[in-house]
Amino acid sequence: MLKKIECFIQPLKLDSLKDALIDAGVEGITISEVSGFGRQRGYAQGEKPNRNVKFLPKVKLEIVVDEEILDDVTKTIVKLAATGKFGSGKIFILPVEDAIRIRTKESGISAIT
Amino acid sequence: MAAEKNNVWEMTLSRLDATMDLLKIKPGMQKYLRQPRKTLEVSVPIKTDSGSIEIFKGYRVQHNTNRGPAKGGIRYHPDVNLDEIKALAMLMTWKCSLVGLPFGGAKGGVIADPTKLSANELEHITRRYTFEIIDAIGPDKDIPAPDVGTNAQVMAWILDTYSMDKGHSVPGVVTGKPISLGGSQGREDATSRGCVYTILSTLKVMGIDSTDLSVAVQGFGNVGGNAAKILYDLGFKIIAISDVSACLYNKKGLNPFDIEDYFKKNKTLCGYSSAEELPREEIFGLECDILVPAALENQITEKNAGGIKAKIVAEGANAPTTPEADKILKQNSIFVIPDVLANAGGVTVSYFEWVQGNLSYFWTKREVNLKLRDIMERAFYETYKFSSEHKVDMRTAASMLAVSRVAEATSLRGIYP
Ligand SMILES: Nc1ncnc2c1ncn2[C@@H]1O[C@H](COP(=O)(O)OP(=O)(O)OP(=O)(O)O)[C@@H](O)[C@H]1O
Ligand SMILES: [Mg+2]
Repeated sequence: MLKKIECFIQPLKLDSLKDALIDAGVEGITISEVSGFGRQRGYAQGEKPNRNVKFLPKVKLEIVVDEEILDDVTKTIVKLAATGKFGSGKIFILPVEDAIRIRTKESGISAIT
Repeated sequence: MAAEKNNVWEMTLSRLDATMDLLKIKPGMQKYLRQPRKTLEVSVPIKTDSGSIEIFKGYRVQHNTNRGPAKGGIRYHPDVNLDEIKALAMLMTWKCSLVGLPFGGAKGGVIADPTKLSANELEHITRRYTFEIIDAIGPDKDIPAPDVGTNAQVMAWILDTYSMDKGHSVPGVVTGKPISLGGSQGREDATSRGCVYTILSTLKVMGIDSTDLSVAVQGFGNVGGNAAKILYDLGFKIIAISDVSACLYNKKGLNPFDIEDYFKKNKTLCGYSSAEELPREEIFGLECDILVPAALENQITEKNAGGIKAKIVAEGANAPTTPEADKILKQNSIFVIPDVLANAGGVTVSYFEWVQGNLSYFWTKREVNLKLRDIMERAFYETYKFSSEHKVDMRTAASMLAVSRVAEATSLRGIYP
């Protein structure tokens, strides 16, 4: 079954992560520079959060994988994106109904491998 | 022995009475909930390997079926007796109710020692016992599962006997089947996984960060062994693992996978090199954050409860804590995740197996585990909320919730005719 990982990480962590993801069997990644906030509403440790949220720069990764390697991929992200502090990021896992490779018209798992 | 065994039923009833009084349940309903709905006692004759005739005694008890068909294990053990089976059937009613499964409670057993019987004799006992209770069981009536002394093979024999009698295959009549006969992915470690979900939820509500926490696991069978492995994978430090042979201890952490390999080769924990070996009772006095009793009943007693240093006790086993010990844990502000909740993962995945069997449509391990997490978390938070709102401990909250739902279902359905 196909699953999509959408994850938000610290921009600095992208570099080491991309190689490890390829090693984990990932065959494609889309990234975008985004801004976001989590529980601390963008405030650093020690600062008192108020209603004015601060959007901080994050990188968003979108990765579609087969369920078989999903756990390895999420484990890799958790390990390499960790900073030990707030704001390390988050992973969301979504079901994917189908995928199609345009050139070959392959669909399903064949479209992503 | 007999007096002690009677005690199980008396103790179960007195706990129920206390719960029903707290819930202010009316006397008529109290009488109803105390009684099992159906009690079968059957004799199970077989021809042994030597050609002689041997008669065994078997039971099947259905406690309450107002929330759905009855569900519960079948045990083969020399100490099986009707009082024990009645008590265990009732506990299944509360467990299914607490986690919100559409089942009532049942239990069965045969007085027999499977270690002294050949596979052939076990098959004969199983098939004849099944035949004797065949009108009482079925996917819409009562669905047996493995318990002490029974396993997937025994379930396969029950499935076959029942199906032959009906003239077509009925996989939904039992759960805990081999995967090749319609068993569910993820059933093997379901009890442990469920237990781990309740531990993680407890850490969340207690505001404890799960990094660097240490765990002691009593019991290295299916429940204890898998719990240790799952917690290890999540990054918990397993500082102690014990079984009947010894207690392995290492302050820096043990690797349960490695210990499992050792155990498979040597059939004992003794002599494992990367750990200190302590007398097995010492598991209860060790410095740790989480204690998982996953062995037998009545292990945490008034003798050792005072020495427990863990902040959380997650009851992977059934009834590991005596009522006296329970009071001591409460005094020491130890958070107890009670057995009905902590080990309900097993019956939950049994429920999934039954659903998959009835649909003839099967789920992946991942799907099973995610659905298990949903059910366990919901049951945990409902119990926790009830316990906070009514200012009672988790065990009391769990019984009150479970019993109140069964009482509600019973009163909505009314008394037939
Ligand atoms: N619920 C959410 N929905 C959508 N995006 C989210 C959500 N939570 C976090 N994000 C995205 O992930 C980024 C990182 O979140 P972050 O790691 O700060 O989460 P957190 O819940 O605050 O955890 P922590 O307490 O570890 O900081 C955010 O800046 C945002 O872009
Ligand atoms: Mg944050």
